[in-house]
Amino acid sequence: MSSRISLSDILWGLTGTLAVVLIWEFAARSGVINAAIFPSPTLAIESAFEKLDRVDVIQHIGWSLYRVLVGFLLGALAGIIIGIAAGWYKFASFLFLPLIELFRPIPPLAWIPLAIIWFGLGEPSKFFIIFLGAFFPVVTAAYRGVISVDPVLLRAAQTFGLKGVGLLMKVAIPGAAPDLATGIRIAWGLSFGVLVAAELIAADKGLGYMIMHARQLGNVDVIVVGILLIGALNLITDGIIVWMIRKWIGRWHGE
Amino acid sequence: MSEQLKRIVYTAAVFISLLLAWEYATTNGYLKPYRFPAPSQIAKGFVELSVVGFPRGLTIWVHVQTTVERIAQGYIAAILLAIPLGFLIGRVPILEKLTNPLIVFGRSIATLSLLPLVIVWFGTGELTKVILIAYGCFWTMISNVIAGVKYVDKGLINAARVFGVKGAALYWTVILPAALPRIFAGARMALGVGFMVIVGAEMIGTIEGLGALIMEARTFYRSEVTIVGMLIIGVIGFLISSGLARMEKVLVPWDTGLEDVRR
Amino acid sequence: MTNFETNAQSAYIEFRNVGKRFGSQDNGFIVLEDINIGIKRNEFVSIVGRSGCGKTTLLNIAAGLVAASSGETVIAGKKVDGPGQGQGVVFQQHALFPWLTAAGNIEFGCRSSNLSKAEKKQLVHQLLELIGLAHAANSYPRELSGGMQQRVAIARALAMDPEILVMDEPFGALDELTRIELQDELLRIWEVKKKTVLFVTHSINEALVLSDRIIVLAPHPLGVHMDIEVTLPRPRDRTTPQFNALYKQIWEGLSS
Repeated sequence: MSSRISLSDILWGLTGTLAVVLIWEFAARSGVINAAIFPSPTLAIESAFEKLDRVDVIQHIGWSLYRVLVGFLLGALAGIIIGIAAGWYKFASFLFLPLIELFRPIPPLAWIPLAIIWFGLGEPSKFFIIFLGAFFPVVTAAYRGVISVDPVLLRAAQTFGLKGVGLLMKVAIPGAAPDLATGIRIAWGLSFGVLVAAELIAADKGLGYMIMHARQLGNVDVIVVGILLIGALNLITDGIIVWMIRKWIGRWHGE
Repeated sequence: MSEQLKRIVYTAAVFISLLLAWEYATTNGYLKPYRFPAPSQIAKGFVELSVVGFPRGLTIWVHVQTTVERIAQGYIAAILLAIPLGFLIGRVPILEKLTNPLIVFGRSIATLSLLPLVIVWFGTGELTKVILIAYGCFWTMISNVIAGVKYVDKGLINAARVFGVKGAALYWTVILPAALPRIFAGARMALGVGFMVIVGAEMIGTIEGLGALIMEARTFYRSEVTIVGMLIIGVIGFLISSGLARMEKVLVPWDTGLEDVRR
Repeated sequence: MTNFETNAQSAYIEFRNVGKRFGSQDNGFIVLEDINIGIKRNEFVSIVGRSGCGKTTLLNIAAGLVAASSGETVIAGKKVDGPGQGQGVVFQQHALFPWLTAAGNIEFGCRSSNLSKAEKKQLVHQLLELIGLAHAANSYPRELSGGMQQRVAIARALAMDPEILVMDEPFGALDELTRIELQDELLRIWEVKKKTVLFVTHSINEALVLSDRIIVLAPHPLGVHMDIEVTLPRPRDRTTPQFNALYKQIWEGLSS
């Protein structure tokens, strides 16, 4: 299976997208759907441009990205360390696995009230929620990756006198890298979803706040543009992550 | 001691010592009871919730029922829509190519970012929540159905064709069974998404449901009620996903290793 | 080279009453029992036998990867009590580290040697030349064919300058033509590097082409069933009557 996307695939994709946008545009303009509550793409972008201050929008984007980045990095780092430790050392698995199993079924958003109680309404509570969104996928992936490293590779390394921490660093962790990469990508997507929710519920800046605020003002066009912006941002950053993963392990792992 | 027994004993030891340390720290003033209500307080909160309710009259069981009903409606709607559509798209290459970017983008849109828009359309009532859940579950589900159907081993299909299987029979005998593990993986992931979305959606514009419960409790400084609500959410999520796993074992007994796809 | 082969009794590798049991004393099963084999320095010894006769276990014991339940294994006068004591190992499934290039994998082999960085680099280069893959130094394992992967695995094992080379069906997963090619290649390398080789194979043919000595292990009763010196001159012609006579002898030994 080649993962290369051919030119004709792109053209087909563009055609499909264009068709949907045109149908939407046509429906809104001809009055099949009420343009006041579901504006056509061109109208929405046009009027959103008028209503939104460009500097404001960039600031909202900046705040959202900053939050998601800080929370994600902390969560991923903790997830990597704890997941690897639990996969490699028995005592760590006894200690961490039950706690992870206990907390994993609780969705990160359910922590919002507690996060506000613990950290107040400021940034730390948002970091914490996003931290949780990133932590669980990464910790699971790191753990799975380490316990499923091919035992033949571990044996091969042992024949060269490698053991203990050396074996962990040189073989178990690189061997876990593909699983880890998948976990990191999932974690990023989840962090993003969590971010928007956190900003909807308690924030005074960021893209989530921007669209919630637009609802209070009744600016449906701004909401639509905001949603598309959030989606695009998610897509672009996910692309960057995929690209980085490919640079990291693509050559030896494939895909 | 056998490995398993050891594990159970250690796990119990970890939990019990953590709970004891927590209880001790709160009752002796090392931790603020409002921020970290003691386990005993949480237990009392649970009793209060299940007898009196919070707010008064809305017991925990009412909240659970409301939340589960909302999830069930959105989740089932999404699955019923995604499976046939996914089969169609997965089996018709042109359709797959036409819709691929739309599906990727649809999945990238954070479900809860639709909340303001859906509120404008349908108000803050039940329908809004069900639609949001359905939206989130749908994209996760359909991507998995498409992938499952699309990457069915060509060798299996050829093997069936050698025996004269074709047309609709091919779907029943080869493609559906081969895609089932992936479909189940999607169903489990979608459930995770559904839980996430409902908690977020219930935090706005309602007092019923577990998401509303934990948010309401916070505004009344009843953090032990918040924690009870969180634990109940976790337990329900765990129970439903175990139920799905068991159903998968029955329906797909040959599947061994799609564990990795999960989350 | 001062290699006095006069004292034939003092073996270079020695299995002394080696036994291996898996599971508990009363509920386990015995894989090896009372194995006594002596192997001379620079000897190429193959072990053949049906599946489940303990070939691989014996090899793993020599490699130090598995501990024997009884008896002891001595290599060059030292008792084996773990891997990495001078046993180079080549596995059936190459076991190359997928995240290292061919050169990186070979370099991994000399990681614990006292060589300087430049010397290591030179050694890696020499080994790549030896296996004829100098051009593929920067390729990753998945970019190499099965035969090339196994060559790199051999070079990696050689990089630690091992006392002995332990090979567990190294060519078992390759196609017939590649296998023959690699057999010749292994003999050539063996001539150059002069190593003591312990080689497990399923193929009587392969054992006959390569070895100075063939040991047949049998499951019922457990233990060494035959021990045959192969004195045919190298390179060996696989079609001569003598070759076929030996083949028949071993085949009958395995079938009895």
